[in-house]
Amino acid sequence: INAEYMGIVELACADGCAVSMKLLLVVLFSLIALSDARRHRRARAAPSPYRFSEEELQQTSHEDLVDILLHRNGIPAPETPEEPAIAAAADNYPPIWPYPAKFSNGTASVTVNPTGFKFTAPESDRDLRAAFERFERLFFPHRAAAGGTISAVQVTVSAFNVQLQLGIDESYTLDVPMQGPIRISAGTVYGAYHALQTLSQLIVFNFDTQLYTIALAPWHIEDRPRFTHREVLLDSSRHFEPVQTIMNLIDSLTYAKVNVIHWHIVDSQSFPFDSPSYPLLGKMGSWSAQERYTIFDVQDVVEYARERGVRIMIEIDNPGHAGSWCKGYPDVCPSVQCPEPLNPATNATFDLIDGLFRDFTGGARGGGVVFENLMHLGGDEVDTSCWSSTPAIAQWMKDNSLTPDLTYEYFVRRSQAIAHAQGRDVVGWEEIWNHFGTQLDKSTIIQQWLGGSTIAQNATAHGYRVLWSTDGVWYLDGLTTTWATMYSQEPCTGIPDNLCDMLVLGGGGEMWGETVDTSDIQQTIWPRLAAIAERLWSPRIVKDATAARMRMANFRCLLNRRGVAAAPVNNAVARSAPFGPGSCLFN
Amino acid sequence: ASNYPPIWPYPQSFTNGSTTVSVDPNFKFAASMQSDDLDAAFKRFDALFFPHRANNGGVLNNVAIMVQNVTEQLQLYSDESYTLYIPADGTAAISITAQTVFGVYNALQTLSQLIVFDFNTQTYQVSLAPWRITDFPRFKHREVLLDSSRHFEPVQTIKNLIDSLTYAKINVIHWHIVDSQSFPFDSPTYPLLGQKGSYSPQERYSMDDVADVVEYARQRGVRIMIEIDNPGHAASWCPGYPDVCPSTTCLQPLNPATNATFDLMAGLFRDFTGGVRGGGVVFDNMFHLGGDEVDTSCWTNTPAIASWMKQQGFTADQTYEYFVKRAQAITHAQGRDVVGWEEIWNHFGTQLDKSTIIHQWLPGSKVAVAATAAGYRVLWSTDGVWYLDGLQVTWETMYVQEPCVGIPDNLCNTLVLGGGGEMWGETVDTSDIQSTIWPRLAAIGERLWSPRTVTSTDAAHVRMANFRCLLNRRGVAAAPINNPTARSAPPGPGSCLDQ
Repeated sequence: INAEYMGIVELACADGCAVSMKLLLVVLFSLIALSDARRHRRARAAPSPYRFSEEELQQTSHEDLVDILLHRNGIPAPETPEEPAIAAAADNYPPIWPYPAKFSNGTASVTVNPTGFKFTAPESDRDLRAAFERFERLFFPHRAAAGGTISAVQVTVSAFNVQLQLGIDESYTLDVPMQGPIRISAGTVYGAYHALQTLSQLIVFNFDTQLYTIALAPWHIEDRPRFTHREVLLDSSRHFEPVQTIMNLIDSLTYAKVNVIHWHIVDSQSFPFDSPSYPLLGKMGSWSAQERYTIFDVQDVVEYARERGVRIMIEIDNPGHAGSWCKGYPDVCPSVQCPEPLNPATNATFDLIDGLFRDFTGGARGGGVVFENLMHLGGDEVDTSCWSSTPAIAQWMKDNSLTPDLTYEYFVRRSQAIAHAQGRDVVGWEEIWNHFGTQLDKSTIIQQWLGGSTIAQNATAHGYRVLWSTDGVWYLDGLTTTWATMYSQEPCTGIPDNLCDMLVLGGGGEMWGETVDTSDIQQTIWPRLAAIAERLWSPRIVKDATAARMRMANFRCLLNRRGVAAAPVNNAVARSAPFGPGSCLFN
Repeated sequence: ASNYPPIWPYPQSFTNGSTTVSVDPNFKFAASMQSDDLDAAFKRFDALFFPHRANNGGVLNNVAIMVQNVTEQLQLYSDESYTLYIPADGTAAISITAQTVFGVYNALQTLSQLIVFDFNTQTYQVSLAPWRITDFPRFKHREVLLDSSRHFEPVQTIKNLIDSLTYAKINVIHWHIVDSQSFPFDSPTYPLLGQKGSYSPQERYSMDDVADVVEYARQRGVRIMIEIDNPGHAASWCPGYPDVCPSTTCLQPLNPATNATFDLMAGLFRDFTGGVRGGGVVFDNMFHLGGDEVDTSCWTNTPAIASWMKQQGFTADQTYEYFVKRAQAITHAQGRDVVGWEEIWNHFGTQLDKSTIIHQWLPGSKVAVAATAAGYRVLWSTDGVWYLDGLQVTWETMYVQEPCVGIPDNLCNTLVLGGGGEMWGETVDTSDIQSTIWPRLAAIGERLWSPRTVTSTDAAHVRMANFRCLLNRRGVAAAPINNPTARSAPPGPGSCLDQ
């Protein structure tokens, strides 16, 4: 039995063991079941390298845990960062968003021949072939005059069949020569996609000559992301966001090398997911009969994203933000009048959580419809008053000698144990850190969000991994937050470099959906998410919004040309209309 | 106020039953005549009919299409009618009859609205079968004006717009491609127009881009009508060809006193028309010459032009008439019928060639009444009610307009060609064009398609809400229908049906 749960069992018995034996047995049984499931999982799939044994947890200081983490993951001493050439003037140089880690270029203009342009790879890979077709359209949107010096790109990928997960190799090198084929080499197809995105920004149609050209050749680019997790949060509960809307969003994300949709799929307002295990959740909890996702819809989204190197991380926020669960399954809620946080006093709640998670995870690490190994359990804004004011729950808490906060901890841990048993690492909003700190399993990833919060410093200092999405600066529903403000944030402020490199996974822009539906999601997200994307991809020293301005304006025009409804970069308030006639470059 | 019939725009006539019949997503399209255009359409509609993976099986698994003509060129008077029969059981196929492929497209759009995915059974269903629909548009010309001068609207943005138009059976983009603010078109004949007159090197259309848009639209039954507004709204011509403008300080109207102006127009028009009716890159036989808001003061205060006018014995207004008629003659010579904004009627009336189509736009104007009475054809897009840049104009206001008010039925039927919503681009670019146009254009779409008697906004409300949700599901950024101001964000969490 996992020692983490012994604490709760002991706690339940502490106050003269006034607890019912029945409850104790139930808890023990479920823990045995969880433990079994976990062993089973470990037998089938490698555990997360971030997970610690109980001995390690008990015997090791937090500082040592960090060292163990670094050692276990084979992280060498931090490299001296490359010094990229920073453009002195505010011009469109380099004409690449986000700014590459390292590059050099010349001064020549070379032409690219779209007719019979060849994408070649030594090995045939279905995903790569599909990508080549997409990128051919992206490279050559106009019919052109005949001719051009360069007529091929050769793509070398070291390892195919790498499952898209946190931390996979996204690096690439790209060489645009004066003549002969363009060359790309990457560790994975995901790196190759990034290289092709970069190349798609370098190939520019010249309307005067009707030829595609690459300026400032030759180019040598060695690029990789600074942070491995670069997300946008998508909220499909406050408004339903149709599958087509999500696919269009995914296309747009790839242009800025944003690589995760943190899919806040359900919340109190609606439950748009048709869970095969608990079908009444969607049937009763959705806004309307059509505002729902089938499990196949989710699978379609995951596959569409995977083909483009974008991970889908599901968030099932609990025990708060779950009022919509009650309509289908009233037992899991305190009462009709007081629907959340979810009822901690019945196994029905945890059974449902287990089944619902399994719909996504398939129960095994790397498996299921959503094969992503990170699962977000929310855990934020838990107001325990419904627990205290619902007699049956209050009695249960009393019987178990649980304060509301201990009940919250019990819930979070039991929910985490379910996710762990299904092979997932858990992400949670920062409240779980603020309440439970180092009581949390070391594999827990803490997402900083509260306005002005600096918990990333504290959590990383204790060896926990973090995501950074602070309200007021990276919340995309904050309409008066400009791209320049977003751009100037630094997730590793106050965090030592080695912890920054190892434990700050990244973060992203959070598109809470209260006033966002298909009609305005793109123009609320863009172009501001591009500022976050550059912060998360590019070297730390690339931070001057003034230097970035023209590059940002050009990138916004590029988004527009690709049909993305990116709003004017000069907007004081997000998603405002352009104020008057003018070029997209100066709006 | 229910979602009945669940079709937007409202069909001309229909009957239905009360049976729910399932549709097999393994669905076959079969047409009586081979057509590459139809084959391409079937692929598109298959994706539109069946957006979700579903359980296999279903009573209805094919559509049989009888079409008379698959080669007719898409023009103003193309037949767009269709019949659609959806049986209540599997004893017959779904069947469509139409004269042209354009009618087939309209039938398939209607069918795409009737096939609904049922999340509970994971099957596709048609409710209220059997359906028998006989449908045709009330007006032949149902446009949206696209302004690519105030802001450049990229080709991809236009293609996305075209997709959305087809859902509401809007069949024309009136492409106001250039104006004073910028000249985004790279004329092969006069290349400096785009090189010097565009906002930036990338904010331009090549000739092939225009051809690409025209072909994309044609495959979907949407006409592209080019507007080259002249002699006013033409200042962006001057950076490339200063000779065609009065002076560098007084740019427009275009210089009437030099053949250079008319030579340039002939060349520019020919880029689109190829010089022959039904030919060229833009084969549409209607060509819009604008002609609106002509302030002649640059003519009278430019000495060379003033003296030329004196030589000719022209007043300023006669110069305007001379210009308009000469521009029209160039257009006629290239096989095109001319459309012009209503000022040309207000100034020149029955002096205009009888083939001229008058486009009513001034607020409160009733020129359609006078022009039709004189035998002229008209388009109806009145500012204040059908101008989409009027953000305070709600869909309900747009819905209750009637282009044939005060016009006898026989003239309404023959001379009122239609009209549409005008999306002037001062504050519209790729970021907000869809949410400014939709869902309000759907109200105009129904006015121009459906029987004149279908006028109640209360009755239409739930259907409009459902249609907007449909647009959203198809990825169109249609804004909430209850917006008092267009393109506003939804006010708070809620169902698309309620906002």
